[in-house]
Amino acid sequence: MNPLHRREFLRRAGLSAAVLPFITGLPSLSLAAPARPRQRLVVVFSPNGTIPSEFWPDETGRDFALKRILAPLAPHRERLLTLQGVSNRIRGDGDGHMRGMSCLLTAIELLPGNIMGGSGQPAGWASGISIDQEIRNFFQSRENTRTRFGSLEFGVGVQDRADPWTRMSYAGAGKPVAPISDPYQMYEKLYGRTKDRESLRSVLDPLRGELSRVRGLVGAEDRRMLEEHETLVRQLERELADGIGADFRLAPPELERGVAADQNDQVPRLSRMQIDLLVNSLANDMARVATLQYTKSVGGARMSWLGISDGHHGLSHEPDSDAAAREKLIKINEWFAGEVRYLADRLAATPEPGGGGSMLDHTLIVWTNELGKGNSHTLDNIPFVMLGGGFGFGMGRALKFEKVPHNRLHLALAHAVGHRIEIFGKADLSAEGPLVLG
Amino acid sequence: MAETLLWRALASGLVLGAALAATAGCQRAPGVTQAADAGARIYREKCAGCHGAKGEGVDDKYAAALTGEWSLARITRYTALNMPDDAPETLSPAEAHAVSAYVFDAFYSPAAQAKSRPARVELARLTNRQYTVTVADLLGGFAPAPAGEGEDSSGLAATYYSVAQRGRFDPAKIAYRGTDAVVDFVFPENGDLRARLALPPLDRPPTPNSTAPAGFSAQWRGSILAEETGDHEFVIRTPNSVRVWINTESEPRGAAEPTLDINVSTPASPDHRVTVRLLGGRRYPIAIDWWALPEKTGSPVVPAIALRWKPPHGSERPVPARNLSTARPAPVFVLTTRFPADDSSEGYERGVSVAKAWDEATTNAAFEVAQQVVRRADRLAGTRRDDPERPALIEAFAARFVGAAFRRPLTPAEEGREVTALFRAAPDVETGLRRVVLLALKSPHFLYPDLPVAAAGDRRRAARLSFALWDSAPDAELARAAAEGRLRTSGEVAAQAARLLGDARARAKVREFFHHWLQLRFVEDLGKDAGLFPDFTPELIDDLRASLDRFVDEVVWGGSSDFRELLRADYLFANERLAGFYGLPAPADAAAPGEFARVIAPAGQRAGVLTHPYLLAALSYKATSSPIHRGVFLTRSIVGRGLRPPPVAQAFDETSFEHGLTMREKVTKLTRSENCQGCHAVINPLGFSLEHFDAVGRFRTTDAGRPVDAASDYADEEGEVVRLAGARDVAEFAIASARANRSFIEQLFQHLVKQSPRAYGPDTTARLRDSFVASGYNLRQLMADIATLAALQGDEPPRVAAVDNPRAP
Repeated sequence: MNPLHRREFLRRAGLSAAVLPFITGLPSLSLAAPARPRQRLVVVFSPNGTIPSEFWPDETGRDFALKRILAPLAPHRERLLTLQGVSNRIRGDGDGHMRGMSCLLTAIELLPGNIMGGSGQPAGWASGISIDQEIRNFFQSRENTRTRFGSLEFGVGVQDRADPWTRMSYAGAGKPVAPISDPYQMYEKLYGRTKDRESLRSVLDPLRGELSRVRGLVGAEDRRMLEEHETLVRQLERELADGIGADFRLAPPELERGVAADQNDQVPRLSRMQIDLLVNSLANDMARVATLQYTKSVGGARMSWLGISDGHHGLSHEPDSDAAAREKLIKINEWFAGEVRYLADRLAATPEPGGGGSMLDHTLIVWTNELGKGNSHTLDNIPFVMLGGGFGFGMGRALKFEKVPHNRLHLALAHAVGHRIEIFGKADLSAEGPLVLG
Repeated sequence: MAETLLWRALASGLVLGAALAATAGCQRAPGVTQAADAGARIYREKCAGCHGAKGEGVDDKYAAALTGEWSLARITRYTALNMPDDAPETLSPAEAHAVSAYVFDAFYSPAAQAKSRPARVELARLTNRQYTVTVADLLGGFAPAPAGEGEDSSGLAATYYSVAQRGRFDPAKIAYRGTDAVVDFVFPENGDLRARLALPPLDRPPTPNSTAPAGFSAQWRGSILAEETGDHEFVIRTPNSVRVWINTESEPRGAAEPTLDINVSTPASPDHRVTVRLLGGRRYPIAIDWWALPEKTGSPVVPAIALRWKPPHGSERPVPARNLSTARPAPVFVLTTRFPADDSSEGYERGVSVAKAWDEATTNAAFEVAQQVVRRADRLAGTRRDDPERPALIEAFAARFVGAAFRRPLTPAEEGREVTALFRAAPDVETGLRRVVLLALKSPHFLYPDLPVAAAGDRRRAARLSFALWDSAPDAELARAAAEGRLRTSGEVAAQAARLLGDARARAKVREFFHHWLQLRFVEDLGKDAGLFPDFTPELIDDLRASLDRFVDEVVWGGSSDFRELLRADYLFANERLAGFYGLPAPADAAAPGEFARVIAPAGQRAGVLTHPYLLAALSYKATSSPIHRGVFLTRSIVGRGLRPPPVAQAFDETSFEHGLTMREKVTKLTRSENCQGCHAVINPLGFSLEHFDAVGRFRTTDAGRPVDAASDYADEEGEVVRLAGARDVAEFAIASARANRSFIEQLFQHLVKQSPRAYGPDTTARLRDSFVASGYNLRQLMADIATLAALQGDEPPRVAAVDNPRAP
């Protein structure tokens, strides 16, 4: 146990450092501690870097002014934490976008492989688990934090192909987790059984009618089997009557029909549908961890709904001197911030099931990106922004670090949920322990 | 001595294996009644104390039931000499005859037993296999026929491109087109890559970089034949990128998700696995897109690709050429829902019970089918999303679907209840369709294929025929024949039966029967002592199973279709590996290396399935033969006698025998007690007849350093002693034995019809045997006869009760 998280532990346990010498057998004390309030993690990804000068606040600490891109998040300013100076310092195979994406949550090198990056460096999948899945597994390993799915991976406009540019979640080395970009598919996954049950219930009446009609057609010996069959159907009917809808605290959302998941122009609609499903699934405690991935690294969405006809990735390569491109990129990133705000609004408006404030009080949103800045492909100053509560971090602040490896940020997330690992991803980049965000 | 043993065999061990009704003892002249009364009295007084009032047996006295297969004359002889047990030879000849006749008629004989347990055609639901096959055909029936299956030659059609473009294949860059017998390449070493890419020769040894500086790529298209139903694990081995579609549509691009999509591969772990459930005896489309990008210098990755699989009962290996074809069939809907196992308490699977788990499985299966139907609704209904007629077209399709599921036209009232009402109540057309499919597949009209519904008419006969031969609903032609009244005479039914037998579905069902008959279904581990049989590898075992399947297929579906050939053929199918291992002549006329051809074994050695090495190896211990396992198999499957479970469990412990004994001597020693001899008097002589074959089925002349003795005296159920010199004599005995023939026919009947043949008349198997022998033991004819008999059975007009009138045509 390193000093940092021992202190953190004592704080949480309501003890001061002064009693430290008297405590032995810390684990037993930790077992005796009351169950933590519910904690959830939602990682939101948007691609192609940001415009740093319109993103990062100039000030640090509590008094900071939001720049244009983060302005949509102003209503949640007191629960916002900006983290300038966090770097993805993973090197090795793969181009900047590729490592930016597949090392973003894994913080470890890519495996050697056969995919050609933009600069001709072949690479494969990430060689380790991602932090969302690490925390998911931690939650799933314990009785009181285990949920039906553990984690849910939402996508919006993610191109339908699997490569290191499209995957940020990894269940382990070489095991990417695919996001679901089709809200109807996600709905099916989350609530399919409910819909099935309704359909099933609707056919049982005519089915019993059929069975009783054919019963009259056969002799007494054969009738016995048909009667047993009828009994089974009646049994099923009773089970459905007893159980229907009881699984969910919050009714499944009504989804707009006929929105094609693979169409660029539908992205705003898809985004809201997925966020509604995400909030609903968390409220129903189907998962404690979620990711929401907008397109992919090198994502080329054409945001026609903002009056922008160029592809996002193409724009992100334009030099700083191209004012028009810069303006469009600011708008694009404002739009993403608006979607993060919608997510935060929905969580804030939903009371935490079982009491204790709103769901946002128990949910930490981490909004991130594969690059610091699009036209330089830098992996420094990755735009990490946190919003929400429940992790014990000191929110309502702008922080600046000096090129700290993002491994330490992931360690801070893990420790905040009580998962006290000393290394996450690449070992030597984890050496200084979790970032102090309290 | 032999007599006593046989009586014990009869009374304590051997029971009726096949319920046969060859001898009827019920037509004796009047006046015999008096004798029968006397017999009953004697039995009550002198026998019932040990054998029970109805021959059921008495615990602590003589527990086994008095049932069996001896003739009356033989029982009388035995009784006169040996009964009652405490006072033998006290009955007069007339008394012995009277009591024997009473026992024979009251409960002993097969006919008596048939009378006490009358058989009838039972209402049956679809078996699990029937369910799965039926829904595959149900959905397949609505799928548009593929645009020409293409020419059918062994292997996959290959196209090579002189450039690698991630997942794209430019016709302008085609370097080579041809057929690859198997997909198992390491380039450039064995792939003949330079020739395929039409590259000039190199002045130095090739490296992947120098071979294809721009990378290269290839596509394979064709189909894959599944031998057996079950999970097939496919393994694509490549350090490069690959997309594979199995049993889905690869074209047009994006028609279906690839089954495997390996855009990114790591050379260190090149095996990509996916499990696909396939139904045996069908071909499935397969497509492979593969590309090898140029590699960065310093870490050369050798381009390679192999299409491998681990089929049910098989080991992992490259998919052999015999299972690949360039034809392009339509995908098959293969249900993945698992059903609880069907009742096989009578020795064959039949749908005679319903249970909670089964009901749940039918619900899950109905949802699985409904999901498929809804997903493909527009194509199935011939409409588009923006078609104003879409809802009406989908509803009309739904009605057709229910009719197809019920195997008959719907009555107007049914259509109202099962289709229209559900669409009206549903929030949208997809939900309506889902519910219609759900109700149709949960309905008794789908689940019970032979309900006496007036609306079914002649179609019941069609369904009995197709379920008997295919385990599936009638196809369009058979349904049409029924609808047009062309399925009424036995000639019409037999002609359709012959046509149905020409379909792959019949072959698949019949293959399952032979696996059942030869007890291959649960064979899993054939591995032998590696020290003794180092070359008996998993690949060789796979070859053996394929060889046996090929042999049975050739006999059944080849020219003669002669049952006798199954038992007495002096040849088997072998590839080079098998021929080498078993010391057989090289397969000269094999189509391709590794493929099978007919090879004739040295004179007198082999006898069809009886001596097929796969079977012999399955019926052996790890290091030695097992006359007991072989004998039990021959007793039950080949000569058709029943066996009870052993009264005492006795492990075969190799170490308990003194050194130098032959296997025959060990088994004789182990089973010499009277307790054992009840059955082993039958089992051992049959089992010893195969002692010329070791644990892997190789022919041998010595065991434990001494000449093999495969000859024995076998006493049949009438006590007639037959000298069997070896396997060929067993084959000839089984061919000539009416009882063995009838036992085979009964098993085949049960497998096809899922009912007892006795339900179709007490002499069903005997009559079938007569025509079987008259046809020259023709198996196809026999199957057609069985299916025709079942289809025409009980063809009284259906009862009319609470059933709507059929819709006018």
